[in-house]
Amino acid sequence: MTTASLSGELRDLYTEESARIQQQFAATGNGRSAVQQRTRLIETIALRLWQEAISPDPAGPVGFALVALGGFGRGWLFPHSDVDILFLHAGNDGDAAYRDAVRGFSQNLWDLHLKVSPATRTLAECDHFDAANVEFTISLLDCRYLAGDRPLFDRLHDKVILKLVMREAQSLSQSLADLARARHAKYGNTVFHLEPNVKDGPGGLRDYNVACWLSLISAIDNLRDWPDEKALLPVSTRKQFDSALDFLMSVRCFLHLRQGRDDNLLLWESQDEAAARKIGAQDLDVGDAAGWMRLYFGQARSVHRVCAQLLEEIPAAWSSLYRQFQNWRSRVSNSDFSVVDGLIFLQQPHALHDPEMLLRLFHFMAAHGLRLSTTTEYRIEQVLPSLAATPPRGAELWLYLGEILAQPHAADALRSMHALKLLTLLLPELKAIDALVVRDFYHRFTVDEHSFVAIESLHRLQQSQSEWDRRYAELLSELERPELLYLSLLLHDVGKGTPNVNHVDASLEIAQRCMNRLDLEPSERETVLFLIASHLDISFTLRRDIFDPETIRVFAEKVETSEHLKMLTLLTYADIKAVNPDALTPWKAENVFQLYIATFNYLNHSVDERLRADAEDTHLAHIRTLVPTAGRRLKTFLEGLPKRYLTTYSATDVLAHMEMAGRLGGDPIQLLLERGRHWFELTLVTNDRPALFAAVTGVLAAWGMNIVKANAFSNQAGTVVDAFYFTDRFRTLELNLQEWERFKRSIIGVLMGEIDLNRMLQDRLRAEKPGSAKIKVDTKIEFDDSCSARSTLAQVIAQDRPGLLHRIGSCLSEEKCNIEIALIDTEGQVAIDVFYLTSNGEKLRPEHQKRVENALLESLQSD
Amino acid sequence: MTKIEAIIQTSKLDAVKDALHEIGVEGMTVLEVRGHGRQKGHTEFYRGREYTVELIPKLKLEIVVPDGIVEKAVQAIVASARTGQIGDGKIFLTKMADAIRIRNDERGEGAL
Repeated sequence: MTTASLSGELRDLYTEESARIQQQFAATGNGRSAVQQRTRLIETIALRLWQEAISPDPAGPVGFALVALGGFGRGWLFPHSDVDILFLHAGNDGDAAYRDAVRGFSQNLWDLHLKVSPATRTLAECDHFDAANVEFTISLLDCRYLAGDRPLFDRLHDKVILKLVMREAQSLSQSLADLARARHAKYGNTVFHLEPNVKDGPGGLRDYNVACWLSLISAIDNLRDWPDEKALLPVSTRKQFDSALDFLMSVRCFLHLRQGRDDNLLLWESQDEAAARKIGAQDLDVGDAAGWMRLYFGQARSVHRVCAQLLEEIPAAWSSLYRQFQNWRSRVSNSDFSVVDGLIFLQQPHALHDPEMLLRLFHFMAAHGLRLSTTTEYRIEQVLPSLAATPPRGAELWLYLGEILAQPHAADALRSMHALKLLTLLLPELKAIDALVVRDFYHRFTVDEHSFVAIESLHRLQQSQSEWDRRYAELLSELERPELLYLSLLLHDVGKGTPNVNHVDASLEIAQRCMNRLDLEPSERETVLFLIASHLDISFTLRRDIFDPETIRVFAEKVETSEHLKMLTLLTYADIKAVNPDALTPWKAENVFQLYIATFNYLNHSVDERLRADAEDTHLAHIRTLVPTAGRRLKTFLEGLPKRYLTTYSATDVLAHMEMAGRLGGDPIQLLLERGRHWFELTLVTNDRPALFAAVTGVLAAWGMNIVKANAFSNQAGTVVDAFYFTDRFRTLELNLQEWERFKRSIIGVLMGEIDLNRMLQDRLRAEKPGSAKIKVDTKIEFDDSCSARSTLAQVIAQDRPGLLHRIGSCLSEEKCNIEIALIDTEGQVAIDVFYLTSNGEKLRPEHQKRVENALLESLQSD
Repeated sequence: MTKIEAIIQTSKLDAVKDALHEIGVEGMTVLEVRGHGRQKGHTEFYRGREYTVELIPKLKLEIVVPDGIVEKAVQAIVASARTGQIGDGKIFLTKMADAIRIRNDERGEGAL
């Protein structure tokens, strides 16, 4: 036959058969059948060409063979896949003898517009492992005989490849794992892309291959022979895997035929059509594109899960460094959970029926950054039905959930809980955003994954080296209740699952319901609702002139407190960062932080404006509605307090302070001592008296307490509300409940003049060993008369050390300064204390300021 | 054809976009930039440390328009971006040799 007539015959065959396969796929949607038929078609063509160009006998010639590699070898030729073939020769000039014939063979395939990747190798060359071309060795794992010298192929398959894999198992697995991890990283390590790549994306067909290759290499290494393919993965995994493979094959076939090229991106237009044609889901009611995408994500998630587990397990067996790291991680094992190769196993599987144990398991995972073993996941799936009957709820669930959210690997724990359907069992509110695709031009991930990525980006702040990230990390470390910020991030977009309404309003309503079930405290709810309601406010404000004081004033009045400001700044950072990896440009990061600084300064430098208790104010109105009967008492208590007082305390706190003030007639010193998450909190309500601040800070110093924050306010009637937040350096209160009363009595005793404070302090100083400061902080004292109409602001920056505040307080008292407001903060070893001072009801004159500065410098630099 | 590059305040983007839409200019490229002209930086003190923003955040708009509407476009930008304060920005004009629409090879003003 002439070359031209052969080409014509093959072209006709290829065109007709391709059209038939396409029609059949259109009718059945069966991707697996389509790729098998296309593989057979290309085989037929290849064999015909072999007989024409190389040898009329399909089993000849001796010493030369045609081998299918990669996808062709596996029998997976998608409509526009590459066709990988190997011309294998035994050596001895086989290459030269058939060079022209091979060229003609390949030319004929190219003329059919097939993307052929031919390789010519000897057996010896196939035996060589090239770290720079791992792909070739991997493609050999799927090799299949097509034509030519069968014994030559058998030597390749049964001897060369087996020996190569046994010899290079470690490098091969490691390289494969490295390639897979790099590929996953390119796609943000998540399955949940709005427009995923069904081949290379996590959970795509390539992950399926990687899982099979890793299992195969491991099996060959163990058996020293080719294993039974069906025994490579556990039965349950294989069943799930096969179903996912059928689905993904159909989707990729659909994409190739729709696009007319090897395009594996599942774009929105393709999603609409795939849903309408029920691609891969002929027997299911998939609904709209969002419903069909949920199905896609479900299949991709199961493939990704198996692949990720194998990536974790298999290379560990060889890499000594990895092994050491895993051994180190296994030291975190305890009586409930053991850790082997970075995977968590249950010590007592039956204990999982206890919901508390289940939550502890995910807390353990979130704390240590470990994965669940397959058996642990299986156990969890087994107990879910019984858990669904009486799911944990209320304060106990919130206690665990809050703890999980605050752990460094919370996002991974949440993802794992979500994949196992535990998260939606505990928080059914999240069902509406499960794998939800909301189309816009900016977001890259589904709504649920966006929330997880946001939580993850905050936790990763601590490790980041970027200058901007370090600034945000500092803010995060200052938060009193970070778990509330994380809960807000988890819920901020749940409203996107409610169609046709403003998502912020819907999120607020759903979050309210969720927090009712979790039994959060009213002040906790207020914070979460504030953050969700305001989660777009910073982005909105950035479209205004952030260097305009009016913009800052309006924004500050919305935010109200520094704590809210910090949380909202971090939430905005995380929310933008989770949109897509490039969304938070340095430009935006800088603007957000600039807005934060300006607002922080506004909130802190305009704090002594006094309250008028009958003023129209939403916060005041809210407090009034809580105790409608307290009218006059509330008015008397609030009159003349700085406005900042209201933004510092919740309505519940304000009412508690009012009650304490009401009892002053019978008991002139009201104290409330509580233990918070990070520190103890002492609230003091009493009538103002000279050196009050110095006395209380002195008692705290004498007890060895380290004051990290404090604030002091007074109203028009001279009632003082001071709060001190301190850590218990010697665990005196923590370990001795009876000491709480003695501690409070000593404060009362000092304030009543019954106990000698100086003696208490001397006792403490004698017991203290002088500590060495890690960094040296120079004392700086600055005065500012411009930021308040009534007081002089004094800012003291100094090395934090025991008794510092007492010294400052005593000094101010001796210099006849009245502390109107004190705002005390600590950043590492730096104390940043701001005082609003008056003397005889007026600002401090310049010469008075100089005297105070000298006195403070002398006192603070004396040691 | 003329390329108009306008450096404007971030807060003026919506107003400038609306003004350009009104005269029929639909497409534009917006870049996040930093810089300063006569308006120098901004200093803020935060917890005892000085934060100086030497380069102020601005937005840069790039549009290419037919010569017939260059002046209208410039006036639209000026009117909508002006506050009268230092820092309102600048507009630069450059003559363009040609424009090509990648999708269909269309050239000249038709490609705009």
